[in-house]
Amino acid sequence: MDEEYDAIVLGTGLKECILSGMLSVSGKKVLHVDRNKYYGGESASICPLEDLFTKFNAPNPDETYGRGRDWNVDLIPKFLMANGSLVKLLIHTGVTRYLEFKSVEGSYVYKGGKISKVPVDQKEALASDLMGMFEKRRFRNFLIYVQDFQDQDPRTWKDFDPNIANMQGLYDKFGLDRNTQDFTGHALALYRDDDYLNRPAIETINRIKLYSDSLARYGKSPYLYPMYGLGELPQGFARLSAIYGGTYMLDKAIDEIVFGEGGRVIGVRSGDEVAKCKQVFCDPSYVPDRVRKKGKVVRCICLMDHPIPNTKDALSTQIIIPQKQVNRNSDIYVSLVSHTHQVAAKGWFVAMVSTTVETENPEAEIKPGLDLLGPIRQKFVSVSDYYEPTDDGINSQLFISQSYDATSHFETTCQDVLDIFKRGTGEEFDFSKIKHELGDEEQ
Amino acid sequence: MATIRIPEQKVILCGEYGVGKSSLFRRFTNNTFVTATDRKSTLGLDHYEKTYHVCDRDVKLQLWDTGGMERVASITSSYYKFAEAAILVFSLDNSSSFNALSQHLLDIVTYAESAKIFLCGNKSDLVSDLPQVTDSEIETFCEQCHNLISGIYKTSCKTTSGLDDMFTDIAFQLVHSNRSRLELQSMEKHGFKISPSEDSQDEESCLC
Repeated sequence: MDEEYDAIVLGTGLKECILSGMLSVSGKKVLHVDRNKYYGGESASICPLEDLFTKFNAPNPDETYGRGRDWNVDLIPKFLMANGSLVKLLIHTGVTRYLEFKSVEGSYVYKGGKISKVPVDQKEALASDLMGMFEKRRFRNFLIYVQDFQDQDPRTWKDFDPNIANMQGLYDKFGLDRNTQDFTGHALALYRDDDYLNRPAIETINRIKLYSDSLARYGKSPYLYPMYGLGELPQGFARLSAIYGGTYMLDKAIDEIVFGEGGRVIGVRSGDEVAKCKQVFCDPSYVPDRVRKKGKVVRCICLMDHPIPNTKDALSTQIIIPQKQVNRNSDIYVSLVSHTHQVAAKGWFVAMVSTTVETENPEAEIKPGLDLLGPIRQKFVSVSDYYEPTDDGINSQLFISQSYDATSHFETTCQDVLDIFKRGTGEEFDFSKIKHELGDEEQ
Repeated sequence: MATIRIPEQKVILCGEYGVGKSSLFRRFTNNTFVTATDRKSTLGLDHYEKTYHVCDRDVKLQLWDTGGMERVASITSSYYKFAEAAILVFSLDNSSSFNALSQHLLDIVTYAESAKIFLCGNKSDLVSDLPQVTDSEIETFCEQCHNLISGIYKTSCKTTSGLDDMFTDIAFQLVHSNRSRLELQSMEKHGFKISPSEDSQDEESCLC
């Protein structure tokens, strides 16, 4: 450990592993350390099942749960948008070669106590039971507008400047009612709250395009999920970093981040050893005095022996409960994966219900989500604080990532990573720097 | 243009740090040998594929190296996923690398359940009159693991002795054992790899 590095990365969560990989690929000498014995930190998938029960102080699972080794349960539920930033990062870094994916089968939205398929094209809009007949036609016109919309071609804007006018204005232009606005903003554009209504419409248009482009990639839904669980993602990026010369240390306690003149980071101490470096990248858990609490996220892992009712027995699903439907300020997300993804024993399903905490009783807040699931065999509730760094790290050269939020996909995760990379290196990540060595491609 | 897809077989290298896994990998990849540990020579190189022709069939061995992760940390469990074969490497001039095999074997059995396991005693060029690891010790080890070991080889990356024989035999054994499985392998059980969007656009244009 007593060596000098360009960068030391603390924690092997997804964000840190992506950063470590990007830094190594950029030619930096990287030391990557985790205090845990395993890779992934909060983004690990727990295996075997016994470990999950132990983690939540529950008695060991009985034999109906099958082999413990067949389970890989995520602590933070998320899906990848098929055309989203994480997929782009995976492709450009070549990490996709370590992974296999399955398309998530269904994407649903909650309305008036029932769930309906999220309509995304004109045909689905007309068949949807979410809207009345006249509203369907207005929504169809809106979808056509978004589909035809071209950033660079003002003729497709139809006398509406989406860079200036806000999203509420665009909804009003098409006469969409509150309900339609609700599922458009939350189930298609995937906003967590309603702030977007007052921001330029272009943001929302691009998000709806991301949704429909993602859907076009692999069918059934815009979401992808990796075989063996999300814990495979940090591991893939860790391997990328190692392949490009990164050094890995697990089970290593970090006692101090050492600062020099002007408050700049100069190294990291573990016991008597000090590793020198120019920069440190870490998650909030390594620097409790340099982050502030921004909020709380409640997550509930549910083990079930059946799919979610009214989803056509889908083996994987996402359901979004828009805030207004249940009188809240933030959406509730429900996700389901199963044995088909090698994350549960045969015949088993893992559902996750999560949301941003708004009251003193977080468990009650997710009840509308739990009520959709049918009988639950085992439930594990956790409430975790959500941290953000107190400064941008430019002066100290200590760059801290934000905790994982309640969103159901990885867009904010990637945004944070690319932003940290830019602050740390002063440049945007150059995807072309990754050599496609022999072995990658054929010939 | 339609091409016949040759099935790829992921083969992983396992064993203690310093037994010559990267040397095996380097020989397999570009047939070179270096004496000092030189990360640069495999930097950025992830895995390498070579086609073998056995029993009138082509089979592609895709050899994976650890990336040196085992030096101070442990190897990620995802390294083992989807592996069809694992080469358990020890150094013939180093008995402790042989004694550590059971731990590596356990990792393989845990994380790569369906992988066939092959035992490789490397650095055969360094073996003097008094071998550090005797044949009978190797035999005893294989008996103790209830015949989990599908093949035993002695190699030298320095002289290349035994290398071709080992990889050809592994290819042969994989073709044999996987013949039925490969043909039955359905998309149902497996996921797909994601690839740049150009591909999917191509497919779409074909459908028109």
